[in-house]
Amino acid sequence: MIRAGGIEKGMCLLIKGEPHAVAEREFVNPGKGSAFVRLKLKNLRTGLVLRETYKSNDNVETADVFDRDVQFLYSDGENFHCMDMESYEQFDVPMAGLEDKANYMKEGDTYTLVMWETTPIDIKIPLKMVFVVTEAAEGVKGDTVQGASKIVKVETGLEVKVPIFIKEGEKILVNTESGDYVERVNT
Amino acid sequence: MLVSMINHAMVRLRSLLVREIRAFFQARGYLEVDTPKLAPSLIPEAHLEVFATELINPDHPCVPLFLIPSPEVWHKRLLAEGSGSIFEITHCFRNGEQIGPYHNPEFTMLEYYTVDADHLDSITITEALFTHLLDALTPEIAAMPGPGGRRSEQSRNAPPARDLTVGHRHLERLLPPFTRTSVRDSVLEHTGLDLDLLTDSESLRTAVRQLGLHVEDEESWADTFNRLFVDRVEPAIATDRPLILTDYPSGIPVLASEGNDPRYRNRWELYVNGVELANCYAEETDANAVAHFFAEQTAAKRDARVPHAVDPDYPHHFGPSFPRCSGVALGVDRLLMLLAGEINMSRVILFGMSGILSVSNYR
Repeated sequence: MIRAGGIEKGMCLLIKGEPHAVAEREFVNPGKGSAFVRLKLKNLRTGLVLRETYKSNDNVETADVFDRDVQFLYSDGENFHCMDMESYEQFDVPMAGLEDKANYMKEGDTYTLVMWETTPIDIKIPLKMVFVVTEAAEGVKGDTVQGASKIVKVETGLEVKVPIFIKEGEKILVNTESGDYVERVNT
Repeated sequence: MLVSMINHAMVRLRSLLVREIRAFFQARGYLEVDTPKLAPSLIPEAHLEVFATELINPDHPCVPLFLIPSPEVWHKRLLAEGSGSIFEITHCFRNGEQIGPYHNPEFTMLEYYTVDADHLDSITITEALFTHLLDALTPEIAAMPGPGGRRSEQSRNAPPARDLTVGHRHLERLLPPFTRTSVRDSVLEHTGLDLDLLTDSESLRTAVRQLGLHVEDEESWADTFNRLFVDRVEPAIATDRPLILTDYPSGIPVLASEGNDPRYRNRWELYVNGVELANCYAEETDANAVAHFFAEQTAAKRDARVPHAVDPDYPHHFGPSFPRCSGVALGVDRLLMLLAGEINMSRVILFGMSGILSVSNYR
């Protein structure tokens, strides 16, 4: 429990049984009234935005949210199966709500799970990741209208727009937030 | 390296603002008064925390003293003794509030009391004050260097004063007349709840809970109302035009007289951008009502961090000799923010608390 007046941006709160992150916090003193805290919160499971107002001496439940490093084993279409390589504990992370991350999940790579008590609620993807090009058409000569680029596929099924000189079997660095090609990786 | 915290143009604008406020009230026959910042006792207000200090009296016990959260405690004594209409621009002190864009623990208040007047007369006076200030200060503001370069071609060609607000939309919007709405109508419009029907704590708590708001069991009517107001009404009325919210519910204890409908009091607040700029009462003149307010608020202050003395004889200043009058308290720093188009109080006050605390060793 925490007094609402002590809530800071970035804290995790348990509201109506759901973990929420504090996105915005504003203090308000109505004329001739006690102090209030206006919050904008983000549900950590659904991403939905919630607005709540508390009196600063109300007690609010905090959500115990922490990070845990795991290895991604495989996905079965419904869950990402992961394992903590120190304790060998396994976690099934439901893919619902995390579909956009599936193309960035590489078997055997290490990811950070966001845990709420014993339940995984999110997976953090590194900002930049290296992928192997598994399907690439030969560059078409004279095709300079689109800035001489083409679409290739990498081992996770992700499609990336790359310069025409990229060949099958080569490694590329991809920005996982935008899905954009960054550079060719020579190893 | 020392970085200057002083905005000289703002210091000058504040000086002009204070000069013009004085000119306005003096021209209308108000007496300017200069009352103490230190008081041995205060009017109890449950939601306020104050600053305490003490008078060291050599060879005698020390005397606790308190920094005034408002000059009201002195002004009502002056009015009771026949001062007539008065005004004061003074520093006030409020403890325990979060320092932020609209709050500094020490701030400047303009307080004016008009005798033989009610809260509606005070609207007219406040509108006239705004008209005067905009007329007098717009050329100055238009010529101010500032973010976004307010010194425009238009302003240098110097048309008559009022026309200068053209191109300075933040000033144009402050021009009277102000929109007036009752608290009841505003709450009804933005929440669907009719305060006429929700006069007891239990029914208000139930109704507010049904809207999905967090409400504690056993809390006061005023607390539940304020939750509703802060969560649903204040954000909805956050327009950049002045709005006068009138007739506050009697469930909020204040020293304003009862309205024709006893469920409401003769009080208004002036809001701009969803921020409270001024508070006004048709003053309570009944000694018994004041004594009741003192008893109730003293009880509610039991848990205050900084307890303060209350003068048990204070309500005796009210009674047949106390004039029918209306008082307005207006935040001068917030008014200066509005005039200058600034969104943080630290930009309009010299040596604001957040600034002096972060550069000192007293963090």
